[in-house]
Amino acid sequence: MKLKLKNVFLAYFLVSIAGLLYALVQLGQPCDCLPPLRAAAEQLRQKDLRISQLQAELRRPPPAPAQPPEPEALPTIYVVTPTYARLVQKAELVRLSQTLSLVPRLHWLLVEDAEGPTPLVSGLLAASGLLFTHLVVLTPKAQRLREGEPGWVHPRGVEQRNKALDWLRGRGGAVGGEKDPPPPGTQGVVYFADDDNTYSRELFEEMRWTRGVSVWPVGLVGGLRFEGPQVQDGRVVGFHTAWEPSRPFPVDMAGFAVALPLLLDKPNAQFDSTAPRGHLESSLLSHLVDPKDLEPRAANCTRVLVWHTRTEKPKMKQEEQLQRQGRGSDPAIEV
Amino acid sequence: MKSALFTRFFILLPWILIVIIMLDVDTRRPVPPLTPRPYFSPYAVGRGGARLPLRRGGPAHGTQKRNQSRPQPQPEPQLPTIYAITPTYSRPVQKAELTRLANTFRQVAQLHWILVEDAAARSELVSRFLARAGLPSTHLHVPTPRRYKRPGLPRATEQRNAGLAWLRQRHQHQRAQPGVLFFADDDNTYSLELFQEMRTTRKVSVWPVGLVGGRRYERPLVENGKVVGWYTGWRADRPFAIDMAGFAVSLQVILSNPKAVFKRRGSQPGMQESDFLKQITTVEELEPKANNCTKVLVWHTRTEKVNLANEPKYHLDTVKIEV
Repeated sequence: MKLKLKNVFLAYFLVSIAGLLYALVQLGQPCDCLPPLRAAAEQLRQKDLRISQLQAELRRPPPAPAQPPEPEALPTIYVVTPTYARLVQKAELVRLSQTLSLVPRLHWLLVEDAEGPTPLVSGLLAASGLLFTHLVVLTPKAQRLREGEPGWVHPRGVEQRNKALDWLRGRGGAVGGEKDPPPPGTQGVVYFADDDNTYSRELFEEMRWTRGVSVWPVGLVGGLRFEGPQVQDGRVVGFHTAWEPSRPFPVDMAGFAVALPLLLDKPNAQFDSTAPRGHLESSLLSHLVDPKDLEPRAANCTRVLVWHTRTEKPKMKQEEQLQRQGRGSDPAIEV
Repeated sequence: MKSALFTRFFILLPWILIVIIMLDVDTRRPVPPLTPRPYFSPYAVGRGGARLPLRRGGPAHGTQKRNQSRPQPQPEPQLPTIYAITPTYSRPVQKAELTRLANTFRQVAQLHWILVEDAAARSELVSRFLARAGLPSTHLHVPTPRRYKRPGLPRATEQRNAGLAWLRQRHQHQRAQPGVLFFADDDNTYSLELFQEMRTTRKVSVWPVGLVGGRRYERPLVENGKVVGWYTGWRADRPFAIDMAGFAVSLQVILSNPKAVFKRRGSQPGMQESDFLKQITTVEELEPKANNCTKVLVWHTRTEKVNLANEPKYHLDTVKIEV
C-alpha cells in the first residue's frame, strides 16, 4: 500500500497532539520535588526576613521626638512625684512615665518614701528614657498612716515634696539620675504630680509659661465633678469648691504650678506637715502669692485637663492563702 | 500557501513537545542543597522597590556631620498593625481613663484604636476626645441589652464582638495586611514593651498579667518554649486560664475563623476568654512572649469609683464644663 505524504503527516500530527496533551497533563501534577522546594523557599524566606530586619535596624533613623525639637529657650517643667511601695506602684509609675514622655523639656523628680532607693523604681527610671532625678526620704513614724487609717488623717507625701524643693534649691540628696540642680537663672516651672492622677498632655503646655503661680480646674475631686478657680476678666475672683471654701487657697495639689525663680526667691516656702486637713496646698502657696495674683489657665479655667483619679487596692485573697501554705507567687517576678 | 503553513506547523510541533517534556523532567529533579550566595531580599525596601544588597559600610547615624544632608531612609518592611479593641462606657472617670490610654497608644507605632461605646449612639464626649487624640481610630457603638447588665455576667461582650465584626468587614474584600488584635480595657495599665512583644504574633500569643485573680500575677507556665499549664488563683480548670489582657491574636486567624466571637449564651462567668480562644487555637499552639512568660508587662488595674457626694442635684453653672 502506497503511503500518501498527507496520511503520514496526519498520523504524525495526531501522535504529536497526544504527546503534547500528555505533557500538559503531567505539568499540572504534583511532583516529588515539592518538599525540598518548599524547604528551600522557607529557608530563603527566613533569610529574607532576617536580612530585612537587619537592614531596617541599620537604616532606622534616630527616634523622632514626640514633638518638634524644642528650642533651648523653652522653660523646663520640673515634675515632682512622691511615691511609695505598694502593689500598684509599678503600674502607676509606668503610665505616668508614658504621659511624661510626651512632654518636651521635662525633668522628673521622683521621690521615694523609703530608707533607700528600691531596685523597682531605679530600674523603671533607667528604662523610662526621661531626664530624671531620683530622691529618697522616709516619712517620720509619727506622720505615717497606720494600716486601715483613712488618707486624710495625716497629709501624705509632705517630706517627699519638700525633699524635691531642697534639691531644686541646691541642697543635694539625689541618689540617681541628674545630680546637679538647675543653675541660678534657669527658666522653669515646678508641678506636683501624684503618681495616681491622670494628666492630659495639653496640661503641661498650659503651665509651661507660668510667671508666678498658675491655676486650673481639677476633675473628680472634693466630692464634685470638678473643683477650680472662678475667673472674671482674666482674674481669679473665687473658687468652685464644696469642701471648706474658707481655705486661703482651695485648690488641689494637681491644680497649680509655680515658677522656679519664684520658689528659689522664697527659700523658706515649703509644705507644712502639721497643716490641718486640706490646708497643705495653702501652706506652700501662702508663702508665694496673693490669691488675686494667680494666673488662670485652661481657657480661663473652663477646661478640665487633669483628673484626681484613685486606683483601687487590688484584692490579694488568693495570694495570702497560698503564702500561708508556702506556695506564694515567685518574688523574683517583679509586678 | 495553506499547505506550506501546515507543513511548518507540523514540523515545529514535535520540537515544542520535546522542550515541554524536558522542562517537566528537569523540574522533577531533587533540588541540590542551598549553597551560600549573595542574596538580595525582596523585603528589603518594601513592596515593589528595587532589590538592594545589604549595605554594611558608611557612618553610623551618630557620627554624621550636622551640615551633611542625611541620606533618605529606605522605607522599612511594613510593621504589622496592632488593632486595640477597647470597650468603654459612660461614667465619671471615662474621659480620664481614655486620656491615659491614649497617652500610651500615642507612643506605639502602627496602632489602630477601635473604641466601642456601650451606647445606642456615639457620645459627644468620646467623639470629641477621639478627634483631638490624633490617633488612627475607629469609633463604634453598640448597647448591651438590659438583661445582660446584671452583676456576675460577663461585660463588654457586645462591644468586643462589634470590634471583631468591623475588622472582618474591613478586610473582607482586600488582602489582609499583617496585623495583630488585642483587647485593651480602658482601665488597665500597659507597658510600651508589651506592644513590641505582641507585634510578632503568628497565631495566638500569651503573657503574664499583673494584679489579677486575687494574686500578684497570673501567667502561662512554659517549658521548652511551649505553654504547659497555668499559674492562676481562680478556676484552674479553665482550658485557657488567662485574662483578657493576656493574649493577642493574629489578624489572619480572626479572618480565617469568621464565626469566632465572644459568646453570651452558655458562657459561664470568667469563661469568656476560654470560650473565645477554644474556637481559634489550642493550648499547644500558644506562643509565649515576655521572656517565656516571666515578665509582667500589663497590669489589671481598677480605678476607684468617684465620690460625687457634694455635686449639686441641679447644675446652676452657666458654663458647661466637660470632665
